[in-house]
Amino acid sequence: MSLLQVNNVTHSYGATNRFWRAGRQKTVLSDVSLSIEQGECLGLLGTSGAGKSTLGKVILGLEKPRKGQILFQGVDLYETNPSTRRRLRRDLQAVFQDCYSSVNPRMNAEQIIGEPLQNYERLSPNEHRRSISMLLESVGLSPEDRGKYPHQFSGGQLQRINIARAIALKPKLIVLDEAVSSLDMVNQTHVLHLLDELKTSFGLSYLFITHDVKAACSLSNSLVVMEKGEVIESCEDQSQLIASSHPTVKKLLESILSEHPRSRSIN
Amino acid sequence: MIIDPRHVLQVSGLHVKVRTAQGTVPLIQDISFELKPGRVLGIVGESGSGKTITSLSLLQLLDRKTIDMAGSIRLNGRELNGLKADKMRSIRGKEIALIMQNPMNAFTPVIKIGDQFIETIRIHTALTKKQAFELAVTTMHDVNLPEPAGLMKLYPFQLSGGMLQRVMIAVAICLRPSVIIADEPTTALDATNQLQVLRQLERIRSEYGTSILLISHDLGVIAEMADEVAVMRHGRIVEQADVYRLFDHPQHEYTKKLLSARPALQDNKPSKEFVMS
Repeated sequence: MSLLQVNNVTHSYGATNRFWRAGRQKTVLSDVSLSIEQGECLGLLGTSGAGKSTLGKVILGLEKPRKGQILFQGVDLYETNPSTRRRLRRDLQAVFQDCYSSVNPRMNAEQIIGEPLQNYERLSPNEHRRSISMLLESVGLSPEDRGKYPHQFSGGQLQRINIARAIALKPKLIVLDEAVSSLDMVNQTHVLHLLDELKTSFGLSYLFITHDVKAACSLSNSLVVMEKGEVIESCEDQSQLIASSHPTVKKLLESILSEHPRSRSIN
Repeated sequence: MIIDPRHVLQVSGLHVKVRTAQGTVPLIQDISFELKPGRVLGIVGESGSGKTITSLSLLQLLDRKTIDMAGSIRLNGRELNGLKADKMRSIRGKEIALIMQNPMNAFTPVIKIGDQFIETIRIHTALTKKQAFELAVTTMHDVNLPEPAGLMKLYPFQLSGGMLQRVMIAVAICLRPSVIIADEPTTALDATNQLQVLRQLERIRSEYGTSILLISHDLGVIAEMADEVAVMRHGRIVEQADVYRLFDHPQHEYTKKLLSARPALQDNKPSKEFVMS
């Protein structure tokens, strides 16, 4: 059994208000199916507006799809009773693109990282402190940073805090929704390395949502490309993606900027 | 300082300090570079290295009450540092234009794109509203925006990020400035839009001979566009070289670190390398 199974999910947005014309629905996901195995990273590629983030939300249990089902460890998150849902939700965490808006600015690092622990675990104050120190260290920050507030961190550091919060409960799957896109290149590389290390040491699985082909290839085992709410290509590895004949995939690959001025594609 | 007429923009010994309650803090130190007509100078560095402060200080957009600026900025032989605010306003947008990172924040959300566009044109020229409208439509057409006349009636939020960024480029180029400062022009865009916007900038440079100061943290953007590169760190330029020399023989330790930080896609575009060499 796969860790996560997405079966024929269809979702649409639109005005449901009865004062508006009915039927003005915009389909953002149509018949999407994919699966993630334990310990695997699935890269979800696509241009903006392809429905990547909506799929992420649907998987996280934040948005009930119109059709289809999401099976996380064999259980449908939207159909189960609240207590099972709460238990499963523990193994399902997320890191979003904008690191500053995904934390409460009035909480310090310790409170931010400690929040999931407080929700799910009953730790003594000493254990709580110790696990926060360990989490900070595992994302490459020092335990002295625990008292700092979000505005005192740089974007890269704060994204690490977000990652620390996501791994606090030793989840099984983390949805990374453009988690490295807002970082500069040096920080991006650091965070990608960190994610790769954590994946091996904690046996994590990722759904890595991005529009950056290079970042997706460096972290993912398998890749899925979406366009206009549909999965148009799924590949086992990056060489299959490069060899793909689908025009959208080709366009995506062409838009990778060259690594050296000699191989410029502009001009 | 030797004033060289071949340089559109000549910056030398630029220091910017901010006055705080704890004393003055240097933001950028001893920045010097030249920009020749029709060339692209890339400034690269990680966040917090002073790239944006450099661009804002060139445009004199920093708050003069809290900022100390020393050094010389010469645009077409004219000193900008210390220029009166109203004089600077007539230069900004006409002779030197800015393309900002986030197009969604660069426009006023409650005013139609067309009105904002026409306002920019009419402040700097004696054109009538109708002529300004026509100029705006032609420029938008130039940057490959579909149905420019229709776009003029829309509000910024009705356009996608990539389209809005192209509108911003159109606003920047419509008065044919001699220098465009592009501060992370593609960071907020996805890969396909990024390439389109870069192509557009490249075309403007080759067609109108506009010089571009391209600020980015992405070495891919720099590799595609720049003729010369300045690497910034902690408010200083640590290395400045021709783009080929910088990528082939980086001198400074930090440049080497930056170059090795790029995530590589193995066997990416092998055929192209082969054809080029």
